[in-house]
Amino acid sequence: MRAVLTLCLCLATPLAAGVPEAVRDHALPAADRFARAADALAASAEADCTAEALRPAWNEAFDAWLGLAHLRFGPLETESRALTLGFWPDTRGMIPRTLVGLAADGDAAVDDPAAFAEVSIAARGFFGMEQVLYGPDAGYGHDSYACRLAVAQARDIDRMAAGIAADWQDHAALLTSAGAADNDTYLSTREARQAFYTALVTGIAFTADQRLGLPLGSYDDPRPERAEARRSARSLRNAVLSLEALRDLARTLAPGPIPDTDAAFDAALGTASRIDSADLSSVADPARRLRVEQLAQEVRAIGEAAANEIGVPLGVSAGFNASDGD
Amino acid sequence: MTTRRTFLATLLAASTAPALSWADAGNPAYLGAARDRDGGHALYGLDAAGARIFRIPLPARGHAAAAHPDAPEAVAFARRPGTFALVIDCARGRVAHRLEAPAGRHFYGHGAFVAAGDVLCTTENEIDTGEGRIGLWSRREGYARIGEIRSHGIGPHDILRMDGDVLAVANGGIRTHPDTGREKLNIDTMRPSLAWITPDGDLLDAVVLAPDLHRNSIRHLAQAPDGTVAFAMQWQGEPGDAVPLLGLARRGHEPVLLAAELGEQMAMQGYAGSVAFSGDGRSVAITSPRGGRLHRFDVATGAVTPYRRGDVCGLAPAPGGFTATDGLGGIVAVGRDVAPLAAHDGLSWDNHLVAIGA
Repeated sequence: MRAVLTLCLCLATPLAAGVPEAVRDHALPAADRFARAADALAASAEADCTAEALRPAWNEAFDAWLGLAHLRFGPLETESRALTLGFWPDTRGMIPRTLVGLAADGDAAVDDPAAFAEVSIAARGFFGMEQVLYGPDAGYGHDSYACRLAVAQARDIDRMAAGIAADWQDHAALLTSAGAADNDTYLSTREARQAFYTALVTGIAFTADQRLGLPLGSYDDPRPERAEARRSARSLRNAVLSLEALRDLARTLAPGPIPDTDAAFDAALGTASRIDSADLSSVADPARRLRVEQLAQEVRAIGEAAANEIGVPLGVSAGFNASDGD
Repeated sequence: MTTRRTFLATLLAASTAPALSWADAGNPAYLGAARDRDGGHALYGLDAAGARIFRIPLPARGHAAAAHPDAPEAVAFARRPGTFALVIDCARGRVAHRLEAPAGRHFYGHGAFVAAGDVLCTTENEIDTGEGRIGLWSRREGYARIGEIRSHGIGPHDILRMDGDVLAVANGGIRTHPDTGREKLNIDTMRPSLAWITPDGDLLDAVVLAPDLHRNSIRHLAQAPDGTVAFAMQWQGEPGDAVPLLGLARRGHEPVLLAAELGEQMAMQGYAGSVAFSGDGRSVAITSPRGGRLHRFDVATGAVTPYRRGDVCGLAPAPGGFTATDGLGGIVAVGRDVAPLAAHDGLSWDNHLVAIGA
């Protein structure tokens, strides 16, 4: 009897466990929400392209992007969309340099969406736009080049968001038919599970190591100037919204209850709520830095819990070759 | 009278003749190591369509294999800093010899045969000095150690046999010490090179990168029919720096570096895991398991075509392009598009796919 029961329990976790749920309840709603917010951003820019008028819609669209940005496969990888929308970290200062170059040339690509889509990815997406809306020249007028640039950036984000939402409809079918004879993208159901799981653990690591790790630097050499979206004081918000999106993914992907992972997310989000530094500049204050360090550790702990509670039952782990490095 | 020595020699001659060929191992087109579903490791022989011809268990995860040009023998290297390598008899499905790195040396994970298959060359670290060495082993003498030569650099990784038994060696430039595992000890001063070396150890020529690329570890190599060497690199700076990860080199010429446009190049995350020329030599490709990318370049024009494939790493020539393997058990043909060849669900193909007779 026991043997029969064990068999039934195994069969109760179908091979596609979690993938249909993650598609239906996580990815598709996030893509739709981002498309709507990006549409509103473009409409806002067309109505009034000055920085002050545009900032609310830009922030709303950025919030929506963070609900989706961790799904770095399929539609987000087409045409380098994820890197274009989220060109960060900009380790070589390409964003200001590219934008200064466009303005100096009076580059007419800003007046033609097709031409602007070919402009360097450093000038486009949320971080290029942040430089325009929050940079040193954010006081630009209605008739300025910067205003036309902001419209071009907003429309370009809208164009990519619409493309992502449309592509996700097709990609949903590929993910849920993984292993079918005519599916050339996902050769097995494990590949579909692996795509979501990799997005989950990579997203967790990105927030710990980049969003928090870059400004943290070391105790003797904190680097607050490296914080993500520092000009718009979104650094902490981005980490929080990303964690909330990752928690949503974890819950939809998991084949069963995930108490340790939930507790790890709760601990991290609780710590984040007690950090009173929107741009994470507190990393340079020895007394307040500890809380950001604690947050980074707690975010890493989420990854360990998720590996046990989600990776193991799904039969997937971090990339075999990606994590080898030789 | 029959001395013990001549008796042994006669026995040896009898046991090696008639010589076996790869046909006796089922004529595999490729060798690939993989982790099995249960966590064990094995070396697989695969046909051109990615179907399994043989499976030989390995005691641990390996890095790469060196295939003998004629005999059905493959040398599987332990992951660095490993101190052993196994000669696998692919016809009988068993370990034929075990190579132990000499005292004070460890293997870096690749090897190549010269002297018509009589001598195996292995990339090694002289641990005390960090200087690269090429170990020489005599197949005829049961893979006895017969000497070593300098690699003319630090951290030699991949090694190729070129025309005339010239060796092309990728000196990755990174010093490691077994006491600290894979920790990189000299990133600020590393100076990788591609060296062409005679079997006697003389340096014929070398490619050294420009100073601003000195952190680009030259790691893996492939050879075109015309002798052009492709070298794949692993960047030791920020992963988003988008530096070139592939170069083409000919002796006596400046190397040509190849890269995709910014977004695609950033997606490679500064890491190329394998490199190969296409079967016709007109294309060259690199894989990035971290970026889930394969970048194929036209050798004549440098034009790039990116392909996406999760955890892709192993790469070898195929008649119409390339064959690639990934950490999810997939084997794909890369021609105009990526087309599935085989799905070995449950297997994880390791870093490299080795073409037999290449």
